[in-house]
Amino acid sequence: MKKISKNNLLLAWQKIDEKFDLFLPKSENGNVKFKNFEESGEVDLTTLKTSIPLKNFVFPQTETFLKFKTKDKKIKFDITSVSEDEYVIFGSRPCDIKSLEILDNIFLREPVDTYYKAHRDRAIIISLACKNPESSCFCGAFEIEPTSVNKATDISLIEAGDFYYWNTISEKGQKITELLKDVLEEVSSEDLVVLNIEKDRIKLELEKLPLNSLDLEKIDGDLQEIFDKEKVWKELSRRCLACGSCTYVCPTCHCYDVKDYAGNNAGERFRCWDSCMFSDFTLMAHGNPRTDQMQRVRQRFMHKLVYYPNNHEGTYSCVGCGRCIEKCPVHIDIVKVIKKLVVNK
Amino acid sequence: MGKIEMILNAKEDFKLGKIQMILGWKKEDESIESIPAFIESVEELEELIYDEYCVNNLSKYLIEEAKNGKKVGIFLKKCDALGMEQMIKDNRILSENIVPYQVECSGMKDFQTGEIFKKCQKCLDESQDKYAEVKEIENMTHDERYDYWMGELSKCIRCNACRNICPACNCETCVFEKKDEDILGKANNESETGFYQIIRAYHVAGRCSDCGECERICPVGIPLGKINKKIIKDIEELYGKEDDDTLSSFNLEDDDTFTEKKGGK
Repeated sequence: MKKISKNNLLLAWQKIDEKFDLFLPKSENGNVKFKNFEESGEVDLTTLKTSIPLKNFVFPQTETFLKFKTKDKKIKFDITSVSEDEYVIFGSRPCDIKSLEILDNIFLREPVDTYYKAHRDRAIIISLACKNPESSCFCGAFEIEPTSVNKATDISLIEAGDFYYWNTISEKGQKITELLKDVLEEVSSEDLVVLNIEKDRIKLELEKLPLNSLDLEKIDGDLQEIFDKEKVWKELSRRCLACGSCTYVCPTCHCYDVKDYAGNNAGERFRCWDSCMFSDFTLMAHGNPRTDQMQRVRQRFMHKLVYYPNNHEGTYSCVGCGRCIEKCPVHIDIVKVIKKLVVNK
Repeated sequence: MGKIEMILNAKEDFKLGKIQMILGWKKEDESIESIPAFIESVEELEELIYDEYCVNNLSKYLIEEAKNGKKVGIFLKKCDALGMEQMIKDNRILSENIVPYQVECSGMKDFQTGEIFKKCQKCLDESQDKYAEVKEIENMTHDERYDYWMGELSKCIRCNACRNICPACNCETCVFEKKDEDILGKANNESETGFYQIIRAYHVAGRCSDCGECERICPVGIPLGKINKKIIKDIEELYGKEDDDTLSSFNLEDDDTFTEKKGGK
C-alpha cells in the first residue's frame, strides 16, 4: 500500500493525463458526471452518485455500429471500430464498479459483445471509498460496502486525514502506480492505524443508514409466486408514469434497442439504451407481448431481483446505489418493493 | 376551506357514492414522503393524508382513472388545479366525472432535503418578479444564450419524465411514440435531444399550467420551467393576459392564416 498527499493530486492527474485519457467526476450546471480531465467543470470528489452511471463508458447510451452508403446501386458498409487506447476513470464508487461485474456477465458471455469488450478492456478504474454514505444508499444489502474492492477495480483509494491511501490491485493498476512512483509515498505503521480508524468509522456510518436493515436472503422464493403477486405489481404500476428515469440512472440496467438513422443514400446503425418502462419495449413484428404498464414494471423488478440472480449464481442485478429511489418522480422505491416481495411470501 | 375539512368532505362523498374513487396522497411504510394514493374502498379511506410533502400533481392520473364514466374525487393544490382544467379544455377528461377538492398549500418540501421546493418558493413570494430568470436569459447575447441552453440540454438523458408527468402532455399517443412514423428515436445526441425539447415546449405552448413538475422531477436538473415561462411571457406580451386560450383556440375566419408567410411577428 502507498499513499498520496492531497496536495499532490493535481500533479498525479497531470501525469496520468500525459499517457492516458483521464476521466474525473466534474460538476457543471449543478450536475456531476465523469468528464475528461481537460474539459470544463470543477472536479468533485465529494458527490457520491454521478448523474449518469459508470455503465455509460462501457455501454454508451448511443453508439454507432456501422455507417452505410449507396452509390450506383451498390451499398457500402463502414464498420465503426473502437479505439484500443487505454483510459483511466478516477474516483468511481464501489457500487458503480460492482455494476461492471454485473454487466460483464451479460456482455462478455458467448457470443461476446465486441463493442462492450473493447470499451471494457481498455478501462483502468481507480475507485474511491465513500466517506459519507447517504440515506438512500443500501449497498450493504448486496455485500458491497463503501470501502470494498471488487474484480473490476484496478486501484482503490480511501481518503483519511491529508492523504488518499493507494492500494494497487491489478496489473493494469500497476501501470498507473509505476507512472506515479515519484508522487506516491510509502505508508508507515501510524498510517495504518489512521486508515483502520477511518474504515471502522465508515462501517459504523453504514450500519446507521435507514435502508441498511434490508434482508435479501428471503427473496429467493418461488418464481411463479413472486410473479403472481398482482396486488403488489398493480399498486406500483398504477402510480408509475412510465418514464425511463429509473432505468437510465441505474448502473446495472442494460437493455438496448438497435435502430437506423436512414437517409436517402446514406445512414447509420446505432444501438441505444432502452427501458422496460417504455410502451415499445419488447415490441415485435407481431405486436407487443407486454400490453400494459403492470407487466413492464413487473419486468423491471423481476429482472433485477429474480431472473438475473437465477441465471448468475444468486447475484442481484442491483448494487444499492439508490439513484432510482432518489430520481423516481412518484417515489417508487426498490427497497420497499423488496420488502413487499419478502414479507408477503 | 381547511385541509382536514376537505378530506372529511371527500370521505363523506365517497361513502355516499357520489364518487367511486379518490385520488389523494398517503404514506408508505412510515416514510416521510407522501405518495399518490388511489382510494377505492372504505377501509383505505383512513390512509388519506395531507401534509407538506404532498408535492405530486395528481391531475395526470385522471386520464386513466376517470374514464368510462367513473366518478373520481381528486385533491388538487392551486397549481395542480390548472392542469386539470387544461385537460378538460383539451377534452381528455370530462368535468362531470370529476369532483375536485382544492386544498390550501403553503409550499411543499423535498423529503430528501427538507427544503421547500423552488417552484413553491416562487409561488408563495408574490414580491418576486416571476419573469426574473427569463429576463436574465433574454439579456444574454445570442451566443451566450446558445451556449447556456446547449450546456443545459446536453445533460438530458432522454428519459421522458418531463413529458410523462406533464398534464399538458396528454395526447393519446405522443407524436414521438407513433410506431409508423419515425419522428424521433431513442438516440441521445445533440440533434435528437434538441428536437425533443423544442417540440415538447412548443406543443405545450399556451397550455402549460406552470405547475413546475417537469423541472422538479428532471433527474439531471435541466431548468425546463424557464422555457415554459419564456413562452408564457411572450404570449402575454403578444396577445395580452386576458385571453388565456390564445394558442389553443382557432377561428376559420382568422385573418392570420397559417398558410401565408407574413414574415413573423
